[in-house]
Amino acid sequence: MSDEKELQKVKGVPAPCDIFHDNESVILYLEMPGVTKENLQIRVDKDLLIIDGKKETADIEGKYMIHEIRNNDFHQEYTIDDTIDRNNINAVIKNGIVTLSLGVIESEKPRKIQITAG
Amino acid sequence: MALVKWKNRNLYDPWTEMRTLQDEINELFRNDRLPVTTGLFDRSVTPAIDFIEGEDDFTVTCELPGLEEKDIDVSIASNVLTLKGTKKTEEEQKKGKYYKKESWTGSFQRTLALPQTVDSEKISAQLKNGILQVVLPKKEDSKPKQITVEIKE
Repeated sequence: MSDEKELQKVKGVPAPCDIFHDNESVILYLEMPGVTKENLQIRVDKDLLIIDGKKETADIEGKYMIHEIRNNDFHQEYTIDDTIDRNNINAVIKNGIVTLSLGVIESEKPRKIQITAG
Repeated sequence: MALVKWKNRNLYDPWTEMRTLQDEINELFRNDRLPVTTGLFDRSVTPAIDFIEGEDDFTVTCELPGLEEKDIDVSIASNVLTLKGTKKTEEEQKKGKYYKKESWTGSFQRTLALPQTVDSEKISAQLKNGILQVVLPKKEDSKPKQITVEIKE
């Protein structure tokens, strides 16, 4: 338990994420409210996809009467396999939602095989 | 035929259910819990808010990722603030499937009774990076005033 807490202090919490998969790509939708383009860092380290988002919090002086928003930064790691094209990873951030699309390599995409009459 | 989730793995131990219930309730009160999608209670569709009382105003902060200005409705009636909105689903994809869905969609409403009257003319709301911030200035006459009382001999 204490280890877990220490780990979170360093790295942050994972953002709620939707993972969508179709033939062309794997798309991740990550909810990261308060993260700007400058504070978002996405990198690929061999098989790891590492997403870091620094939450920008407005410092408001005063007494918290309700405090539900956690001020943790976001951190999430995903393992990606060889079917993901490393050169075809795109990320868009809009209104606090990160849309991360990972392209699937050509040979993994389903394809039709042309039949030639013999 | 409906599928029933097989929860009670040990039929002969009637306390398993109680322990599971206890664990799930404890989970709700864990301060550092990660987003969970399973459990006894469905993840309620209420976005997290902060309510801060400052010297001259109240600030309400609300996490609304993916919402635009037109999706949100902020209203005030006397001293009751209502935040309403609808979060829509991404609709562009038709083919394919979701492996995981941790985010919520749907409408929400939060009502806050303010501790004192605010100046409804001067309320400002701003949406930035998926965070809504509403500033409600306190009314002049409801601020604590210092009154000097002259004491006559």
